[in-house]
This record gives sequence, C-alpha cells and structure tokens, in this order.
Amino acid sequence: MTADVITLNGVTKTYPTPAGDFLALDKTDLAVVPGEFVAVTGRSGSGKSTLLNLLAGIDRPTSGQIQVAGTDVHLLPESRLSSWRGRTIGMVFQFFQLLPTLTVAENVMLPMDFCATYPPRLRRPRAMELLERVGIAEQADKLPATLSGGQQQRAAIARALSNDPPVLLADEPTGNLDSATAEVIWELFAAQAASGTAVVAVTHERDLGRWAHRRIDLADGRIATGATR
Amino acid sequence: MSRPRYTKLRRDLWHARGRVVLMIVAVALSLIAIGAMLTARTVVLREAAANYAATHPASATLDVAGGVTGDLLEQVRTRPGITEATARQTVTARVRVGGTWHRMLLFVIDADDPLRVARFDVERGAWPPPADGLLLERSALAVLGGPRVLTVTAPGGRSGSFTVTGVVHDAALAPAAQERTGYGYLTPAGLSRLGLSPNRDQLKIIVSGNQDAVDARARELAAWLTAGGHAVHAVQAPPPGRHPHQNQVDTITLLFLGFAAAALVLAAVVVATTLGGMLAQQTRQIGVLKTLGATTGQVLGTYLLMTLTVAVAALILAAGPSVLAGLALTDLMAGLLNLDITDTSVPLRVFAALAAAGLGVPLSVALVPLTRAARTTVRSALDHRGATASRTRQRAIRIPGGNRMLSFAVRNALRRRGRLMLTLVLLTVGGALFTGGLNTADAWNTWVREGLARRSYDTEITLTAPVSADRLTALLRDVDGLSAAEPLAVLPATPVRDGQAEISRTYPDGGHGAFNLIALPAKSPLIDFEILEGRWLDTGDQDGAVINQGAATRLGNPRPGEKITLSVEGRTRVLRLVGIAAEVGGPAAVYTAADPAVPTATAIRLAHDDPSVPGQVERYLATAGIHAQTVMPVTELSMAIDEHVLIFIQTLIVLAALMAMVGALGLASAMGIAVTERTREFGIMQTIGATSRTVRLTIIWEGLAIGLTGCLIALAVGVPLSAGVGSFLGRLSFGLPLPLELSVTGMAAWTVLGLAAATTATLTAARRASRLTIRETLAYE
Repeated sequence: MTADVITLNGVTKTYPTPAGDFLALDKTDLAVVPGEFVAVTGRSGSGKSTLLNLLAGIDRPTSGQIQVAGTDVHLLPESRLSSWRGRTIGMVFQFFQLLPTLTVAENVMLPMDFCATYPPRLRRPRAMELLERVGIAEQADKLPATLSGGQQQRAAIARALSNDPPVLLADEPTGNLDSATAEVIWELFAAQAASGTAVVAVTHERDLGRWAHRRIDLADGRIATGATR
Repeated sequence: MSRPRYTKLRRDLWHARGRVVLMIVAVALSLIAIGAMLTARTVVLREAAANYAATHPASATLDVAGGVTGDLLEQVRTRPGITEATARQTVTARVRVGGTWHRMLLFVIDADDPLRVARFDVERGAWPPPADGLLLERSALAVLGGPRVLTVTAPGGRSGSFTVTGVVHDAALAPAAQERTGYGYLTPAGLSRLGLSPNRDQLKIIVSGNQDAVDARARELAAWLTAGGHAVHAVQAPPPGRHPHQNQVDTITLLFLGFAAAALVLAAVVVATTLGGMLAQQTRQIGVLKTLGATTGQVLGTYLLMTLTVAVAALILAAGPSVLAGLALTDLMAGLLNLDITDTSVPLRVFAALAAAGLGVPLSVALVPLTRAARTTVRSALDHRGATASRTRQRAIRIPGGNRMLSFAVRNALRRRGRLMLTLVLLTVGGALFTGGLNTADAWNTWVREGLARRSYDTEITLTAPVSADRLTALLRDVDGLSAAEPLAVLPATPVRDGQAEISRTYPDGGHGAFNLIALPAKSPLIDFEILEGRWLDTGDQDGAVINQGAATRLGNPRPGEKITLSVEGRTRVLRLVGIAAEVGGPAAVYTAADPAVPTATAIRLAHDDPSVPGQVERYLATAGIHAQTVMPVTELSMAIDEHVLIFIQTLIVLAALMAMVGALGLASAMGIAVTERTREFGIMQTIGATSRTVRLTIIWEGLAIGLTGCLIALAVGVPLSAGVGSFLGRLSFGLPLPLELSVTGMAAWTVLGLAAATTATLTAARRASRLTIRETLAYE
C-alpha cells in the first residue's frame, strides 16, 4: 500500500471578520496518495481555496494537523516555509501569475534559481524540456503577455513542475480559459498524476471524471462527498 | 546577471525607468551637495593649514617699548624654547581710493631680514623694494584700485608716494576686501619717507608647541625683557596654525555638510517612498515568488539590490560633478581665506565617505519598507487588491463647505496613510530646510542692516595721539555740514582672568581677535546698541562698564553687577559691569563713560550727510596740530561684514534650492505611484459615468491637497529650524543668535513651488490615467 503524500487530520480554519469568526474549514480529514488526481469542487466560500492554501503552507490551520510529503506543514516555521514550498509544492493559479518581465523560459527557471535544485547550466535545458512537455517550447523566449491564456497556463504548469515537486496544487486553473483549452490543461494534469505526482485541483467544473481519480465536494467547510477513496 | 531573479530585477528597473531616473536624480543631487561640501572642506582646510604654515607665522608678537635692537634680537634668539625671532614694525596708515579712505597696514621689514618669520611669497617684483617703493599684498590690489603709484598718508598726516614695485601673497592675512584694508610691505627707508622713525617695536618669535606652550614662553620672554628694562606693552599670540578665518570656515562648512546630509536623507526617503510604491504594485509578484520557493531573504536581497543599483547609479552620476562643484566652492573659499590652492587632489577618504553615504543612507532608509514588503505573507500578497480604504475609519471624511471632489480627493489621500506620511515628511523636511535656509539668509541681512543702523555716525577718524576731548569738540564746532561729533578713546586692552592677563589673540591684521576699551560720552547719541542684559552707561558711571557680546565671551560671560578686570597700557583696571550690549561689526569691546574731568580722545565719530565733511574735519584738526591715523566710513564696515558672509548666504540659498528640488521630486514620485496603483479604480469610475476630465480633476485635487498640507506644515516647522540655524550661525559669526526673521519671499516661493510641483506631478499622472481606455484600466494588474 502506497503511503499518503497528503494527510489532513481534523483540520479547522477560521478567519476573523468584522461580523465575527468565519469557519472556512471544519474538522476536515483527507488523505491523498502519490499519483492521485483529486478534484476539489464546491460553491464559492465552501472552503476550496482555504484547503489549497493550507496544503501549500500559505495559511496555517486554526487546529488539526497537516502533513505533506512527510513534513508537518503546520509546524514549519515561517522562515522555512518558502524553500519547503518551492521544493515540495507546485502551484498553478487561475490567472497564471507569470512574472510579466521574464520570458516564459525564465519564469520556468525561477523556482530552480530560488531553490538551487539544479545547477545553473542545467536550468535552461530543464526549462526547455518542461516547456516541450507542455507543448509550448517554441514560445520559450517570449514574454507572457504575448501568449494566449492557454499557453500562459501551460507555462505556469511547466513552472510549477520545475523543481519536480511531489505535489501539484492548482486553484481553478481553467477558470480563465475556454473549454477546449481547459481540456488540454486537465490532460496535462492527468499526465503529471500518471507520472506519480499528487495533483489537487480546485475547480468549479464538476465533470472531471475523465481525468480526476476522485472528486471531493466541499460545502460549508466540510467535505460532503469524496473524503475517502 | 543571467539568473532569472536578476533578469527580473533588471527588467523591472527598465520597466519603471521614469521612477528609477527620478530616484537616481534625487540621490545624485544630494550626493553632489555632500561631495562638494566634503571636497571643499577637505581641500580648503588642508590648504589653509599648509598656506598658513608656509608663512612661518609668528607664534607670538611682543610690543616692546623703544624697539628691539640687533643685540637684543640676538639674545632673544638664544633664549630657551625660541626657535626663531625677528623684529618688525607695523604702522597703521591710510590711503584714499576714489572718495573713500581705506586703512592701510604698512609692514616695515628690514631689507636684510632673512624672512624666516612671518614670511610672504613675492609673486611679482622683488624684495626688498627701493626706498620709494613698496610691495602690495595681492588681495589689496582690487581694494586699492590696482595702483601703480600709491599715495600713503601716515599717522600725523604726512603723505608720501610709493611706486608699487611688486605683489606678494601673505596667506596669514585675511583678504583685504573683507577687512577693507590695504597691506603694504616696505623697508625702514621707505617708512622714513613718511616722516616716521623706524623703531622695530614688534618682536616676533616662533615657539614650538601648543597654545599653552606658546603663552608660557611669551610670558617668560616678556618678563625677561621687562626685567632687562624693555617694557612690553602687549603680547599677541593668535591660535597656532590656524588662519584668522579658519575656525569660521571649519564650522560653517560642517553646518553646510549637515544640510547636504539632510538632503541625502530626504533623497533616501524619496527612494524609500518610490520603492515602496513599486513594491506595492509588485505585492502579488512577491506572493508568487514565495510560492515558487523564494525566501524572505531572497526577496529582500533582490529588492535591496534594486536599491543598491539606484544608489550606485546616483553615485557614479554624482562623483564627477560633486568634485567639480567642490573644487569650484574651494576656489570661492580660497578667495575668502586668501589662499593658494596648490594641491587640488581629493583624498580617497572623501570618495570613501561619499560612497558610504551614497550607498549606506538609501539602503538604510529603504530597508524598513523593503523588509516589510519582503516579509509579506504569501496569503496577503496574493490577496492584494491595490490601494484600499482605511479600515479604521468608520465614517467618510467630508470637507465642510467643500465640494464633493475635494472630499473625495482627501479621502483618497488618506487611503495610504504610511505613504501619505512619508510624502508629507518629504515635503515638510524639504520645505522647512528651504524656508529655513532663506529665513536664515534674511535674518543675517536684517541683523547686519539693523545692527549697523544702530550706529548713527557716518565716519570714524582715529588720531595719531590722544588729545583733549573738549578741545576736539570745540575745534569742530564750526565745520559746515557736521551734524554731530563725538570724541572717544579707544585703547587696546587685555582681559584679566584669574589674576592673569590673557595673552591677546589678535592676528597681525590687527582686527581679528582684537579687544578694546572704549571710553565715550555716557549718553552717546551716536550709538544705540541693543541691550541684552542690564543697562547702558549712565552719567556718573565712572567705574561702570558695558561690554559687547564678543567681550562677554572673552571675559567668561560675566553678569551685570560683577567686576571685570582688564589690563590697559600695562595697568590693571577693575570695572563694574552694568550691562551687556549686542554690537554688529566691531571687535570685542568694553565701553566706559569718559571721565568728564580728564576727557582724552584717540578718535572721533562724525555724523554728516555731506561726504566732504571728513576731509574738512581733517583739515580743521591738522590746523590745530591734530593728525588723523585712519578715516573709516561706516559703509566700509558694512562692506566688510558683507564680504565675510556673502559666500555663506549664497551657499545656504543653493542648498535650500537643492532641498526644494529633492522635495518636489519626492512629491512627483508619490503622486505617480498613487495614481498608478489606482488605475483599475479609474476604469471603474469611467464605467459608471465619470469623464476623463473628472478622473483628471480628482487626481489634481488630491495632489493639491497633499501639496498644500505639506507646504503648511513645512512653513510651521521652518520657523523653529530657522531659529536653530540662526542661533548657530549668529553665535559663530557675531557671538549672538540671529533674530528670527521670516522670509516672506521664501515662504511664498515654497508655497508656489510646492503647489506647482504637486500640480505638475499630478497632471502628468492624471493625463496618463485619463488617456487609458476603460478596458485597459480594468485589465490593469
């Protein structure tokens, strides 16, 4: 039996608001194995993004434990979070968040630069290989603004994979794309999961059965369906 | 720079090149000021010391009654501790240039004097001159109108013409223009042509060691001379190794360096504000960088490198001009000190200090906003939505009676309180230094103008020998056009403290460091000095004395009612202090009421409108056998003070203008940022019906509101700042704080400049914002 790469035990997250504390996630348990593609769905405010932020160490749980790739994320000091995140988590955003002044290849090389996961001479070839894998190698030396939305998201995926992270997190990665392009993106995620990476994608699309191994439906901070495999 | 993070840095800088240029210019301007001040200060102080030392100035000068014979001089040279000695004579004569009399110091030097003490460089001609010739100090040429032949009037009234056979440079003297004095060098044979007997009554000695050692040797020598039957009237020992103006230049350049340093801090605030704005725009990018694995240290390092790039660029830009400006200032100051700048090399430590300031200050000031930005959590960085409204304010601000646009502008200005504070600090400091500089310049002028206006006489004539005051008054009763004549006695004096006569610190020019006892009618109508403490002299105050601020310092700041002791002509006089007066344009002086029983005068002050009156008076006196030594119009005193302070006032104004420029750049930067980060909001305004004009006006109102607030605070802060700087400069120059003077021109100029800068800065940003289409603004990240 494969060990879980993501484990959540009784995780609760509340946010203070002017109207009082808002319960974003309530005593949530979850386990994801390597190579598993999990789609997280739910209405706005159901806790999808909170779940993703907790997994990435962007937010800290109010209570409960989170373990990702063998690390107790909730215990990691702030000073170590960034480099841990750079090596362990690949993040894909809805609006791509490519750095506008860097070329596509340079964007992909950036995590390798920060985490020093590859020696400098190998970074460009590695970026090209990833861009080749997502199908936009010919766009490597262009600035992101000159690319279409789909191409930018592929570049963002390549960037997320640059440090070979065991976990890929995506926050509505197709929310800004047309349906045909969205299909291509999901296919890329599925291929990545097939290669052993755990993929957790927050999405509004409920029909991901073709690509995702499991769908978790969140409602009012609780997992309504899909908590177990 | 092939690593992506450096590539990003380079492209970010290029992308924001307008702001980057603004930051570089702000820092470079202040660095030019610092570099110029450092260069000028270093080179001038070094060269002043070298020039002064090269003259081998006398450590002490003893006035020996009856003069110094060759034998006596030889004996003095063998006295312990005395490394060199010579005997000279200085005669105070006068020359007329145009219609104005100038004091003329004649330095009488034996033709065979080896010139090992108090030496000078002959720049033209040769030493010694023939009996009918003299050499002029180069700075006196302009004062005396560059004469080829000079008619000198000796004390006693006898005149003699001398051919100017050469020009010398005597770095130990203050420039002639500042002292309104000519300096001539001639031999005893030349002096004889004026009917005066050479008597070599000044014994000049060189003693190694500090002031205490010099004083001790001089006292010892004076005692030895006195014991040998050679009475010593006075001992003068100016501060060793220090030019007469060196202290002033030293302190004032230090003050100006402080101003320049303030400009650098101001520029650093501009950098911090601008970078803060750039970072605010890059907040999301910081979040992304952190999700990609960038640590806080890496993010901070990248942005510190950005600051460093700006600082280095500014340093490179400023290095050359700062040295050139410094050398230009050096030239001006060299003129002030009558120096030859033989070595213009700028020591490495100046560049090191400039580099340390230029790199260190911007980095230190920027460190706080950069660290804050770098430590932003990923969550808040990714959630960043640009400028938001203050969460602490419950109700929106409404300007009473103001229009909605103004209320809106004020609310917008308050949205980014941190940046607003920085912008206001920038405007306040820039404006306060600007108005403070101009206020000080005005105060300086007012102090001199009003101080001189307290002298109601027009000319002072000093006499070659004391005469009866009553006789003088009687003689001049019938002079046409003379509205008042007041005899007075001016005697060189020495303060006695702790039972010991202070050695006079008077320089060879006779002016710097002088201390006089002046006896004049108690109810003098010709002077009306401001009384700082106590009262002015009263009839019957025979042992009462009023001292000016210079004398107060020399006497250890006594209070009215206390006794003061002076040594005058070898005798000790104890006086009761009744008051302390502020006097502009005179050396340290103790005023006493002339004794009506035995009134003796050594000078007379004249009030007149007709410029020919002094000439008439002189003729009247000459007819009675009374001869004038010097004739000094009060206008000369005014010019002398102006010559001393002009360069400092001009420098102060240049520094003030610099502050204004840096402040205006800061405002431009802040407004540019404020507009850029609300680009999306302008799009929203336009989608709900706002026209481009409305958007433009909103921004302009906001800029004007900030500009006006900054101006008002600056004007208020400028007042105590002016008082502080005026106090410092006044005490340094006149021994008293300058009065607080508010320069209406300066305040109006700053208000206009501040509002103009605000309008210009916002107009540019507003025009850019209003030109964007709604689609562009809504798509703005």
